Amino acid sequence: MIKFSNVCFAYDKANILENVSFTIEKGEFVAIVGRNGAGKTTLMKLFNGLLKPTSGNVSVSNLDTRLSKTSELARHVGFLFQNPDRQICRNTVKDEIAFGLNCVLDNKSEIEKRCRETIESFGFSGQKDPFSLSRGERQKVALASIIALSPEILVLDEPTTGLDYKECMHIMNIIKELNRSGTTVIMVCHDMELVSDFARRVIVIGDGGILADDMCKKVMLNSAVLARASLAPPQIAELAIRLGDDFGGILTIDEMTDKIESRCLQ
Amino acid sequence: MKGILEYSQGDTVIHRLNPLTKMLIALLLCMSSFLSNNLLAAAAIIALNVIIGHLAGIGKKALSIMATLLKLGAVLFLIQVLLIRTGDKVLDLPLNLYITNTGLKFSLLLVLRLVGATMPLVIMLTVTKMSDLTNVLVQKLHIPYKYAFAFITALRFIPIFEHEMNGIIEAQTARGVEFDTKNPVKKLKLVLPLCVPLLISSVKRIEGSAISAELRGFNVRKKNSGYKKYSFSLLDYSAVLVTVLVLIFSASIV
Repeated sequence: MIKFSNVCFAYDKANILENVSFTIEKGEFVAIVGRNGAGKTTLMKLFNGLLKPTSGNVSVSNLDTRLSKTSELARHVGFLFQNPDRQICRNTVKDEIAFGLNCVLDNKSEIEKRCRETIESFGFSGQKDPFSLSRGERQKVALASIIALSPEILVLDEPTTGLDYKECMHIMNIIKELNRSGTTVIMVCHDMELVSDFARRVIVIGDGGILADDMCKKVMLNSAVLARASLAPPQIAELAIRLGDDFGGILTIDEMTDKIESRCLQ
Repeated sequence: MKGILEYSQGDTVIHRLNPLTKMLIALLLCMSSFLSNNLLAAAAIIALNVIIGHLAGIGKKALSIMATLLKLGAVLFLIQVLLIRTGDKVLDLPLNLYITNTGLKFSLLLVLRLVGATMPLVIMLTVTKMSDLTNVLVQKLHIPYKYAFAFITALRFIPIFEHEMNGIIEAQTARGVEFDTKNPVKKLKLVLPLCVPLLISSVKRIEGSAISAELRGFNVRKKNSGYKKYSFSLLDYSAVLVTVLVLIFSASIV
Protein backbone atom coordinates (compact mmCIF):
# COMPACT_ATOMS: atom_id res chain seq x y z
CA MET A 1 0.00 0.00 0.00
CA ILE A 2 2.80 2.43 0.93
CA LYS A 3 6.27 1.71 -0.33
CA PHE A 4 9.42 3.75 0.27
CA SER A 5 12.29 2.59 -1.95
CA ASN A 6 15.72 4.07 -1.22
CA VAL A 7 14.20 7.45 -0.47
CA CYS A 8 16.54 10.40 0.08
CA PHE A 9 15.41 13.90 0.96
CA ALA A 10 17.41 17.09 1.41
CA TYR A 11 16.42 20.68 2.27
CA ASP A 12 18.71 22.87 0.17
CA LYS A 13 21.93 20.90 0.68
CA ALA A 14 21.25 19.40 4.10
CA ASN A 15 20.41 15.69 3.92
CA ILE A 16 17.48 14.86 6.17
CA LEU A 17 16.73 11.31 5.02
CA GLU A 18 19.10 8.91 3.30
CA ASN A 19 18.18 5.62 1.64
CA VAL A 20 15.02 5.04 3.63
CA SER A 21 13.11 1.90 2.59
CA PHE A 22 10.05 0.30 4.16
CA THR A 23 6.58 -0.93 3.31
CA ILE A 24 3.35 -0.32 5.20
CA GLU A 25 0.48 -2.70 4.47
CA LYS A 26 -3.23 -1.95 4.53
CA GLY A 27 -4.77 -1.81 8.01
CA GLU A 28 -1.51 -1.32 9.92
CA PHE A 29 -1.20 1.11 12.86
CA VAL A 30 2.33 2.49 12.67
CA ALA A 31 3.95 5.04 14.98
CA ILE A 32 6.94 7.03 13.80
CA VAL A 33 9.14 8.20 16.65
CA GLY A 34 12.46 9.98 16.99
CA ARG A 35 14.12 13.00 18.52
CA ASN A 36 13.23 16.56 17.46
CA GLY A 37 14.70 17.34 14.05
CA ALA A 38 15.19 13.66 13.18
CA GLY A 39 13.05 14.02 10.05
CA LYS A 40 9.69 12.63 11.24
CA THR A 41 7.57 15.44 9.81
CA THR A 42 9.62 15.36 6.60
CA LEU A 43 8.88 11.65 6.34
CA MET A 44 5.15 12.31 6.92
CA LYS A 45 5.05 14.96 4.21
CA LEU A 46 6.56 12.47 1.77
CA PHE A 47 3.50 10.23 2.25
CA ASN A 48 1.12 12.64 0.53
CA GLY A 49 3.46 14.38 -1.87
CA LEU A 50 3.73 17.66 0.06
CA LEU A 51 7.44 16.93 -0.29
CA LYS A 52 8.87 15.01 -3.20
CA PRO A 53 11.88 12.72 -2.64
CA THR A 54 15.25 14.03 -3.84
CA SER A 55 15.94 10.48 -5.05
CA GLY A 56 14.21 7.12 -4.70
CA ASN A 57 10.51 6.43 -4.94
CA VAL A 58 7.47 6.79 -2.73
CA SER A 59 4.45 4.80 -3.86
CA VAL A 60 1.08 5.31 -2.18
CA SER A 61 -1.88 3.18 -3.29
CA ASN A 62 0.10 2.38 -6.44
CA LEU A 63 0.58 6.10 -7.21
CA ASP A 64 4.06 7.55 -7.52
CA THR A 65 3.99 10.68 -5.32
CA ARG A 66 6.49 12.37 -7.61
CA LEU A 67 4.08 12.12 -10.54
CA SER A 68 0.85 12.79 -8.65
CA LYS A 69 -0.44 16.08 -7.30
CA THR A 70 -0.94 16.34 -3.53
CA SER A 71 -4.57 17.35 -4.09
CA GLU A 72 -5.08 14.09 -6.01
CA LEU A 73 -3.29 12.03 -3.37
CA ALA A 74 -5.65 13.60 -0.79
CA ARG A 75 -8.33 11.17 -2.05
CA HIS A 76 -6.21 8.32 -0.67
CA VAL A 77 -4.24 9.97 2.15
CA GLY A 78 -5.86 12.04 4.91
CA PHE A 79 -3.35 14.23 6.75
CA LEU A 80 -4.05 15.68 10.18
CA PHE A 81 -1.65 18.48 11.10
CA GLN A 82 -0.51 19.36 14.59
CA ASN A 83 -2.20 22.76 14.41
CA PRO A 84 -5.92 22.53 13.50
CA ASP A 85 -6.11 26.31 13.01
CA ARG A 86 -4.18 25.97 9.75
CA GLN A 87 -6.88 23.70 8.41
CA ILE A 88 -10.09 25.31 9.62
CA CYS A 89 -11.26 28.04 7.25
CA ARG A 90 -15.06 28.00 7.34
CA ASN A 91 -17.55 29.72 9.63
CA THR A 92 -19.54 26.65 10.66
CA VAL A 93 -18.56 23.09 11.53
CA LYS A 94 -20.82 21.79 8.75
CA ASP A 95 -19.23 24.03 6.11
CA GLU A 96 -15.80 23.04 7.36
CA ILE A 97 -16.54 19.35 6.90
CA ALA A 98 -18.16 20.01 3.51
CA PHE A 99 -15.16 22.10 2.32
CA GLY A 100 -12.83 19.12 1.88
CA LEU A 101 -15.62 17.00 0.41
CA ASN A 102 -16.39 19.67 -2.19
CA CYS A 103 -12.78 19.49 -3.32
CA VAL A 104 -12.85 15.77 -4.08
CA LEU A 105 -16.50 14.98 -4.84
CA ASP A 106 -18.98 16.34 -7.40
CA ASN A 107 -22.13 14.62 -6.14
CA LYS A 108 -23.95 17.16 -3.91
CA SER A 109 -26.24 14.60 -2.26
CA GLU A 110 -23.25 12.39 -1.42
CA ILE A 111 -21.46 15.42 0.10
CA GLU A 112 -24.57 16.25 2.15
CA LYS A 113 -24.91 12.60 3.29
CA ARG A 114 -21.26 12.25 4.36
CA CYS A 115 -21.40 15.61 6.10
CA ARG A 116 -24.48 14.60 8.08
CA GLU A 117 -23.03 11.21 9.00
CA THR A 118 -19.74 12.73 10.17
CA ILE A 119 -21.45 15.39 12.28
CA GLU A 120 -23.66 12.73 13.89
CA SER A 121 -20.82 10.33 14.62
CA PHE A 122 -18.70 13.05 16.23
CA GLY A 123 -21.66 14.58 18.05
CA PHE A 124 -21.02 18.10 16.75
CA SER A 125 -23.49 20.93 16.45
CA GLY A 126 -23.22 21.65 12.71
CA GLN A 127 -23.96 25.37 12.96
CA LYS A 128 -21.29 26.15 15.60
CA ASP A 129 -18.40 28.44 14.74
CA PRO A 130 -15.30 26.17 14.80
CA PHE A 131 -13.06 29.04 15.90
CA SER A 132 -15.06 29.45 19.11
CA LEU A 133 -14.42 25.83 20.14
CA SER A 134 -11.73 24.60 22.54
CA ARG A 135 -8.34 23.40 21.20
CA GLY A 136 -9.39 19.77 21.55
CA GLU A 137 -12.73 20.38 19.84
CA ARG A 138 -11.02 22.19 16.96
CA GLN A 139 -8.65 19.24 16.58
CA LYS A 140 -11.73 16.99 16.45
CA VAL A 141 -13.32 19.19 13.75
CA ALA A 142 -10.08 19.00 11.73
CA LEU A 143 -10.02 15.21 12.16
CA ALA A 144 -13.72 14.91 11.26
CA SER A 145 -13.26 16.89 8.05
CA ILE A 146 -10.51 14.45 7.03
CA ILE A 147 -12.41 11.33 8.06
CA ALA A 148 -15.39 12.55 6.00
CA LEU A 149 -13.19 12.06 2.93
CA SER A 150 -12.94 8.33 3.82
CA PRO A 151 -9.21 8.07 3.15
CA GLU A 152 -7.57 4.65 2.91
CA ILE A 153 -4.56 6.01 4.81
CA LEU A 154 -4.64 8.43 7.73
CA VAL A 155 -1.43 10.32 8.52
CA LEU A 156 -1.34 12.09 11.88
CA ASP A 157 1.37 14.57 12.80
CA GLU A 158 1.39 14.72 16.60
CA PRO A 159 -2.42 14.64 16.81
CA THR A 160 -2.61 15.02 20.58
CA THR A 161 -0.23 17.94 21.17
CA GLY A 162 -1.79 20.48 23.53
CA LEU A 163 -4.74 18.27 24.42
CA ASP A 164 -5.70 17.16 27.91
CA TYR A 165 -5.93 13.44 28.75
CA LYS A 166 -9.69 13.21 28.10
CA GLU A 167 -9.51 15.00 24.74
CA CYS A 168 -6.45 12.96 23.80
CA MET A 169 -8.17 9.63 24.59
CA HIS A 170 -11.32 10.70 22.74
CA ILE A 171 -9.37 11.46 19.57
CA MET A 172 -7.20 8.35 19.86
CA ASN A 173 -10.23 6.10 20.34
CA ILE A 174 -11.82 7.51 17.18
CA ILE A 175 -8.58 6.78 15.33
CA LYS A 176 -8.44 3.27 16.83
CA GLU A 177 -11.96 2.56 15.61
CA LEU A 178 -11.05 3.76 12.12
CA ASN A 179 -8.02 1.48 12.14
CA ARG A 180 -10.23 -1.45 13.21
CA SER A 181 -12.46 -0.79 10.24
CA GLY A 182 -9.48 -1.08 7.88
CA THR A 183 -7.94 2.40 7.63
CA THR A 184 -4.15 2.40 7.68
CA VAL A 185 -2.95 4.76 10.41
CA ILE A 186 0.51 6.33 10.50
CA MET A 187 1.19 8.60 13.47
CA VAL A 188 4.09 10.75 14.58
CA CYS A 189 4.01 11.01 18.34
CA HIS A 190 6.33 12.02 21.18
CA ASP A 191 4.17 10.45 23.86
CA MET A 192 5.60 6.94 24.25
CA GLU A 193 2.70 5.87 26.51
CA LEU A 194 0.29 6.71 23.71
CA VAL A 195 2.47 4.91 21.18
CA SER A 196 2.62 1.75 23.29
CA ASP A 197 -1.14 1.89 23.93
CA PHE A 198 -2.23 2.27 20.32
CA ALA A 199 0.48 1.45 17.76
CA ARG A 200 1.27 -2.10 16.73
CA ARG A 201 4.41 -1.27 14.77
CA VAL A 202 7.03 1.41 15.53
CA ILE A 203 9.54 2.98 13.16
CA VAL A 204 12.37 4.83 14.92
CA ILE A 205 13.91 7.64 12.87
CA GLY A 206 17.36 9.04 13.58
CA ASP A 207 20.73 9.87 12.00
CA GLY A 208 19.04 10.35 8.62
CA GLY A 209 17.59 6.86 8.46
CA ILE A 210 15.62 4.13 10.19
CA LEU A 211 17.15 3.00 13.50
CA ALA A 212 14.51 0.35 14.15
CA ASP A 213 11.37 -0.94 12.49
CA ASP A 214 9.62 -3.63 14.47
CA MET A 215 6.64 -4.59 16.61
CA CYS A 216 5.87 -1.96 19.25
CA LYS A 217 6.85 -4.19 22.18
CA LYS A 218 10.23 -5.13 20.73
CA VAL A 219 11.13 -1.51 20.03
CA MET A 220 9.98 -0.25 23.42
CA LEU A 221 12.16 -2.82 25.18
CA ASN A 222 15.20 -2.13 23.02
CA SER A 223 16.93 0.34 25.31
CA ALA A 224 19.95 0.73 23.00
CA VAL A 225 17.82 1.96 20.09
CA LEU A 226 15.71 4.19 22.33
CA ALA A 227 18.83 5.76 23.83
CA ARG A 228 20.29 6.35 20.36
CA ALA A 229 17.09 8.15 19.37
CA SER A 230 17.01 10.11 22.68
CA LEU A 231 13.75 8.41 23.65
CA ALA A 232 12.63 6.95 26.94
CA PRO A 233 10.38 3.89 27.18
CA PRO A 234 6.93 4.30 28.81
CA GLN A 235 7.14 4.63 32.61
CA ILE A 236 5.36 1.32 33.12
CA ALA A 237 8.00 -0.44 31.00
CA GLU A 238 10.78 1.19 33.02
CA LEU A 239 9.10 0.11 36.26
CA ALA A 240 8.81 -3.46 34.93
CA ILE A 241 12.51 -3.51 34.09
CA ARG A 242 13.38 -2.30 37.60
CA LEU A 243 11.14 -4.98 39.15
CA GLY A 244 13.32 -7.68 37.61
CA ASP A 245 13.27 -10.39 34.96
CA ASP A 246 9.95 -11.77 36.13
CA PHE A 247 8.24 -8.56 35.01
CA GLY A 248 10.25 -8.29 31.78
CA GLY A 249 8.35 -7.44 28.60
CA ILE A 250 5.53 -5.59 30.33
CA LEU A 251 4.56 -2.50 28.37
CA THR A 252 1.06 -1.49 29.42
CA ILE A 253 -0.80 -0.97 32.68
CA ASP A 254 -3.18 -3.83 31.79
CA GLU A 255 -0.27 -6.23 31.39
CA MET A 256 1.19 -5.07 34.70
CA THR A 257 -2.16 -5.52 36.49
CA ASP A 258 -2.53 -9.03 35.03
CA LYS A 259 0.98 -9.92 36.11
CA ILE A 260 0.49 -8.66 39.67
CA GLU A 261 -2.85 -10.47 39.90
CA SER A 262 -1.30 -13.74 38.74
CA ARG A 263 1.58 -13.31 41.20
CA CYS A 264 -0.89 -12.68 44.04
CA LEU A 265 -2.88 -15.80 43.11
CA GLN A 266 0.34 -17.85 43.15
CA MET B 1 15.32 29.01 1.11
CA LYS B 2 14.33 31.46 3.81
CA GLY B 3 11.20 33.59 3.47
CA ILE B 4 11.09 37.16 2.24
CA LEU B 5 12.58 39.72 4.72
CA GLU B 6 13.80 36.88 6.93
CA TYR B 7 17.26 37.74 8.30
CA SER B 8 20.13 35.97 6.54
CA GLN B 9 23.08 35.57 8.88
CA GLY B 10 26.52 36.44 7.58
CA ASP B 11 29.69 38.47 7.98
CA THR B 12 29.92 39.99 4.52
CA VAL B 13 30.86 43.56 3.71
CA ILE B 14 27.15 44.39 3.39
CA HIS B 15 26.35 42.81 6.76
CA ARG B 16 29.08 44.92 8.39
CA LEU B 17 27.60 48.23 7.22
CA ASN B 18 25.81 50.39 9.76
CA PRO B 19 22.05 49.57 9.66
CA LEU B 20 21.32 53.23 8.93
CA THR B 21 23.79 53.19 6.01
CA LYS B 22 22.02 50.15 4.60
CA MET B 23 18.67 51.90 4.80
CA LEU B 24 20.14 55.04 3.22
CA ILE B 25 21.66 52.99 0.38
CA ALA B 26 18.31 51.28 -0.17
CA LEU B 27 16.54 54.63 -0.24
CA LEU B 28 19.09 56.14 -2.66
CA LEU B 29 18.85 53.14 -4.99
CA CYS B 30 15.07 53.43 -4.84
CA MET B 31 15.30 57.11 -5.83
CA SER B 32 17.82 56.28 -8.58
CA SER B 33 15.38 53.79 -10.00
CA PHE B 34 12.51 56.28 -10.05
CA LEU B 35 14.68 59.11 -11.44
CA SER B 36 16.06 57.03 -14.33
CA ASN B 37 14.42 57.78 -17.65
CA ASN B 38 16.62 55.43 -19.59
CA LEU B 39 15.84 51.73 -19.98
CA LEU B 40 19.50 50.73 -19.79
CA ALA B 41 20.10 52.82 -16.66
CA ALA B 42 17.03 51.25 -14.99
CA ALA B 43 18.28 47.77 -15.97
CA ALA B 44 21.76 48.68 -14.64
CA ILE B 45 20.26 49.52 -11.23
CA ILE B 46 18.62 46.09 -11.14
CA ALA B 47 21.98 44.51 -12.03
CA LEU B 48 23.60 46.54 -9.22
CA ASN B 49 20.99 45.17 -6.81
CA VAL B 50 21.83 41.62 -7.88
CA ILE B 51 25.55 42.36 -7.33
CA ILE B 52 24.78 43.75 -3.84
CA GLY B 53 22.77 40.59 -3.12
CA HIS B 54 25.71 38.47 -4.28
CA LEU B 55 28.12 40.47 -2.09
CA ALA B 56 25.77 39.93 0.85
CA GLY B 57 25.82 36.17 0.24
CA ILE B 58 22.17 36.05 -0.80
CA GLY B 59 22.71 36.01 -4.58
CA LYS B 60 20.15 33.21 -5.11
CA LYS B 61 17.58 35.03 -3.04
CA ALA B 62 18.18 38.30 -4.92
CA LEU B 63 17.57 36.50 -8.21
CA SER B 64 14.44 34.88 -6.82
CA ILE B 65 13.13 38.29 -5.63
CA MET B 66 13.87 39.70 -9.09
CA ALA B 67 12.03 36.82 -10.77
CA THR B 68 8.98 37.26 -8.52
CA LEU B 69 8.89 41.02 -9.14
CA LEU B 70 9.28 40.49 -12.87
CA LYS B 71 6.27 38.15 -12.85
CA LEU B 72 4.22 40.83 -11.10
CA GLY B 73 5.70 43.40 -13.48
CA ALA B 74 4.59 41.34 -16.49
CA VAL B 75 0.95 41.80 -15.46
CA LEU B 76 1.46 45.55 -14.97
CA PHE B 77 3.27 45.73 -18.30
CA LEU B 78 0.37 44.09 -20.09
CA ILE B 79 -2.18 46.48 -18.58
CA GLN B 80 -0.06 49.58 -19.21
CA VAL B 81 0.95 48.71 -22.75
CA LEU B 82 -2.69 48.24 -23.75
CA LEU B 83 -3.93 51.40 -22.03
CA ILE B 84 -1.37 53.92 -23.33
CA ARG B 85 -2.63 55.22 -26.66
CA THR B 86 -0.15 58.02 -27.41
CA GLY B 87 2.78 57.55 -29.80
CA ASP B 88 3.19 55.63 -33.07
CA LYS B 89 1.40 52.33 -33.53
CA VAL B 90 3.74 49.35 -33.63
CA LEU B 91 1.21 46.53 -33.41
CA ASP B 92 -2.53 46.32 -34.13
CA LEU B 93 -4.58 43.99 -31.98
CA PRO B 94 -8.22 42.85 -32.12
CA LEU B 95 -10.98 44.72 -30.15
CA ASN B 96 -9.58 48.11 -31.20
CA LEU B 97 -6.50 47.57 -29.06
CA TYR B 98 -3.03 48.52 -30.22
CA ILE B 99 0.49 48.92 -28.90
CA THR B 100 2.45 52.13 -29.40
CA ASN B 101 6.17 52.82 -29.15
CA THR B 102 5.55 55.26 -26.27
CA GLY B 103 3.41 52.66 -24.50
CA LEU B 104 6.11 50.03 -24.92
CA LYS B 105 8.88 52.25 -23.59
CA PHE B 106 6.83 53.62 -20.69
CA SER B 107 5.52 50.19 -19.64
CA LEU B 108 8.95 48.61 -19.79
CA LEU B 109 10.43 51.49 -17.80
CA LEU B 110 7.64 51.15 -15.24
CA VAL B 111 8.40 47.46 -14.73
CA LEU B 112 12.15 48.07 -14.48
CA ARG B 113 11.57 50.90 -12.01
CA LEU B 114 9.28 48.72 -9.90
CA VAL B 115 11.87 45.93 -9.75
CA GLY B 116 14.80 48.31 -9.23
CA ALA B 117 13.03 50.20 -6.44
CA THR B 118 11.74 47.17 -4.53
CA MET B 119 14.86 45.00 -4.62
CA PRO B 120 17.18 47.23 -2.53
CA LEU B 121 14.66 47.53 0.30
CA VAL B 122 14.14 43.77 0.45
CA ILE B 123 17.87 42.98 0.17
CA MET B 124 18.87 45.48 2.84
CA LEU B 125 16.18 44.35 5.25
CA THR B 126 17.26 40.73 4.69
CA VAL B 127 20.83 41.49 5.79
CA THR B 128 19.91 43.70 8.76
CA LYS B 129 18.86 42.41 12.17
CA MET B 130 15.55 43.97 13.13
CA SER B 131 16.80 44.66 16.66
CA ASP B 132 19.79 46.59 15.22
CA LEU B 133 17.49 48.58 12.99
CA THR B 134 15.21 49.49 15.90
CA ASN B 135 18.15 50.53 18.07
CA VAL B 136 19.77 52.63 15.36
CA LEU B 137 16.49 54.41 14.63
CA VAL B 138 16.24 55.29 18.33
CA GLN B 139 19.92 56.21 18.84
CA LYS B 140 20.73 58.08 15.63
CA LEU B 141 17.39 59.36 14.36
CA HIS B 142 15.92 59.93 17.85
CA ILE B 143 12.67 58.23 16.93
CA PRO B 144 10.72 57.25 20.10
CA TYR B 145 11.28 53.56 20.86
CA LYS B 146 7.56 52.77 20.74
CA TYR B 147 7.23 54.00 17.14
CA ALA B 148 10.47 52.39 15.99
CA PHE B 149 9.41 49.11 17.59
CA ALA B 150 5.95 49.27 15.97
CA PHE B 151 7.48 49.92 12.54
CA ILE B 152 10.05 47.16 12.83
CA THR B 153 7.55 44.70 14.28
CA ALA B 154 5.30 45.29 11.27
CA LEU B 155 8.23 44.38 9.01
CA ARG B 156 9.21 41.43 11.20
CA PHE B 157 5.72 39.97 10.91
CA ILE B 158 5.88 39.75 7.09
CA PRO B 159 8.07 36.60 7.02
CA ILE B 160 6.09 35.17 9.93
CA PHE B 161 2.81 35.62 8.05
CA GLU B 162 4.43 34.22 4.92
CA HIS B 163 5.49 31.13 6.87
CA GLU B 164 2.02 30.81 8.38
CA MET B 165 0.37 31.18 4.98
CA ASN B 166 2.63 28.46 3.55
CA GLY B 167 1.60 26.19 6.43
CA ILE B 168 -2.08 26.92 5.78
CA ILE B 169 -1.69 26.28 2.05
CA GLU B 170 0.08 22.98 2.84
CA ALA B 171 -2.73 21.94 5.18
CA GLN B 172 -5.39 22.83 2.60
CA THR B 173 -3.55 21.07 -0.26
CA ALA B 174 -3.31 17.97 1.93
CA ARG B 175 -7.11 17.91 2.23
CA GLY B 176 -7.62 18.13 -1.52
CA VAL B 177 -7.71 21.87 -2.28
CA GLU B 178 -6.00 22.28 -5.64
CA PHE B 179 -3.26 24.72 -4.68
CA ASP B 180 -0.90 22.68 -6.80
CA THR B 181 -2.77 23.79 -9.93
CA LYS B 182 -0.82 25.73 -12.54
CA ASN B 183 -3.78 28.05 -13.26
CA PRO B 184 -2.99 31.35 -11.43
CA VAL B 185 -6.63 32.59 -11.52
CA LYS B 186 -7.87 29.37 -9.91
CA LYS B 187 -5.08 29.58 -7.36
CA LEU B 188 -6.02 33.17 -6.48
CA LYS B 189 -9.67 32.17 -5.98
CA LEU B 190 -8.58 29.38 -3.65
CA VAL B 191 -6.39 31.71 -1.58
CA LEU B 192 -9.27 34.03 -0.59
CA PRO B 193 -10.99 31.67 1.93
CA LEU B 194 -7.61 31.18 3.60
CA CYS B 195 -7.59 34.79 4.76
CA VAL B 196 -9.82 33.66 7.67
CA PRO B 197 -7.32 31.24 9.30
CA LEU B 198 -4.45 33.62 8.51
CA LEU B 199 -6.26 36.53 10.16
CA ILE B 200 -7.13 34.48 13.22
CA SER B 201 -3.63 33.10 13.69
CA SER B 202 -2.15 36.58 13.09
CA VAL B 203 -4.34 38.22 15.72
CA LYS B 204 -3.44 35.44 18.20
CA ARG B 205 0.26 35.83 17.45
CA ILE B 206 0.18 39.63 17.75
CA GLU B 207 -1.66 39.39 21.06
CA GLY B 208 0.95 36.91 22.29
CA SER B 209 3.80 39.16 21.17
CA ALA B 210 2.26 42.21 22.89
CA ILE B 211 1.87 40.31 26.17
CA SER B 212 5.42 38.95 26.08
CA ALA B 213 6.84 42.41 25.21
CA GLU B 214 5.06 43.91 28.21
CA LEU B 215 6.26 41.09 30.47
CA ARG B 216 9.83 41.77 29.35
CA GLY B 217 9.61 45.41 30.39
CA PHE B 218 8.64 47.11 27.14
CA ASN B 219 7.18 50.12 28.94
CA VAL B 220 10.26 50.78 31.06
CA ARG B 221 12.60 50.88 28.06
CA LYS B 222 14.17 54.29 27.37
CA LYS B 223 16.38 55.83 24.69
CA ASN B 224 19.60 54.73 26.39
CA SER B 225 18.44 51.18 27.23
CA GLY B 226 20.27 49.70 24.22
CA TYR B 227 23.91 48.86 25.05
CA LYS B 228 25.16 48.45 21.46
CA LYS B 229 26.73 51.48 19.75
CA TYR B 230 26.30 52.00 16.01
CA SER B 231 29.19 54.09 14.72
CA PHE B 232 29.90 54.97 11.08
CA SER B 233 33.14 53.72 9.52
CA LEU B 234 35.02 54.58 6.34
CA LEU B 235 33.20 51.68 4.68
CA ASP B 236 29.85 53.35 5.42
CA TYR B 237 30.93 56.71 3.98
CA SER B 238 32.39 55.06 0.86
CA ALA B 239 29.25 52.97 0.28
CA VAL B 240 27.00 56.03 0.57
CA LEU B 241 29.28 58.00 -1.77
CA VAL B 242 29.15 55.29 -4.42
CA THR B 243 25.34 55.15 -4.17
CA VAL B 244 25.07 58.94 -4.47
CA LEU B 245 27.18 58.70 -7.67
CA VAL B 246 24.78 56.02 -8.96
CA LEU B 247 21.87 58.37 -8.20
CA ILE B 248 23.49 61.27 -10.07
CA PHE B 249 24.37 58.99 -12.98
CA SER B 250 20.89 57.52 -13.34
CA ALA B 251 19.19 60.92 -13.03
CA SER B 252 21.44 62.55 -15.63
CA ILE B 253 21.18 59.91 -18.37
CA VAL B 254 18.27 60.54 -20.72
